[in-house]
Amino acid sequence: MSVKKLTELAMLTAVALIIFVVELQIPNPFPIPGVKLGLANIITVYAVYRYRFAETLLIVATRVLLGAIFSGSMMTLLYSMTGGLLCLVGMTALKRRLPGKYIWVCSVFGAIFHNVGQIAVVCLVAGRGMLLYFPFLLVSGCLAGAFTGLCAQFVIRRFETNILSHR
Amino acid sequence: MTRKTRILLLLCAAIFLSGVLGCVWVLNRPRGTWVEILQDGSLIQRIDLSQARDQNIDVEYEGRSNRITIENGRIRVSQADCPDHICVDRGWLDSSIPIVCLPNRLVIQYTDQGADIDALAQ
Repeated sequence: MSVKKLTELAMLTAVALIIFVVELQIPNPFPIPGVKLGLANIITVYAVYRYRFAETLLIVATRVLLGAIFSGSMMTLLYSMTGGLLCLVGMTALKRRLPGKYIWVCSVFGAIFHNVGQIAVVCLVAGRGMLLYFPFLLVSGCLAGAFTGLCAQFVIRRFETNILSHR
Repeated sequence: MTRKTRILLLLCAAIFLSGVLGCVWVLNRPRGTWVEILQDGSLIQRIDLSQARDQNIDVEYEGRSNRITIENGRIRVSQADCPDHICVDRGWLDSSIPIVCLPNRLVIQYTDQGADIDALAQ
């Protein structure tokens, strides 16, 4: 891996972490664990479309691990890591079918995969009753995924038409 | 827009709609008066809210504790040592969506098996 690539990935990870930590400070109006905007996933969507799978994996894994340390709840590491990896795999598989102005749809699918991974682990830990949360996670995940996806879509398309593009 | 893209868009909309329907279904589920308190997936206590006297139940997990309060036939988590306090913010258990404290692996939910098991035990 070239130094340039390494620096880019490190910077994206740092940006994602900053977004993550800032989002932690926003009070959550929904008393349902796992429901959040997930603004840091803007970086994930961006990276899925701009980098190779392994490179994006590095960003996501590092962000989730450091995010768990910064937020002080190592318990959530298990859920976020499973959800994050499933989301990444799903989005990578779908990105060819959803180019350009459909990037936000890919992000919604990513959110759905994320929720499936999360709820699977939560059910293993806390019992099957947690499945009742799934519809709520799904709806909030779709909305949040559409929002973060649109943000990433604007950034990606702006880069594509910009001469300052780093590729 | 290619055909595959259109199928994916429809699939996406279908999943979202089924999620909304699922929410409506969960919120409208009939529920009795029995609740169960689970920790780490295993049952700690099963309570009939219509009969239970007002009380506090303290539950510990790895040194952190949750105080569960029962009052006037309602149940909630009134104090918790967990970092996020989602369980306390949730307030009274007023729907079939369980109260959870994921850091302390605590779940409080309505159950429909209470009466049967109680009858068996007697």
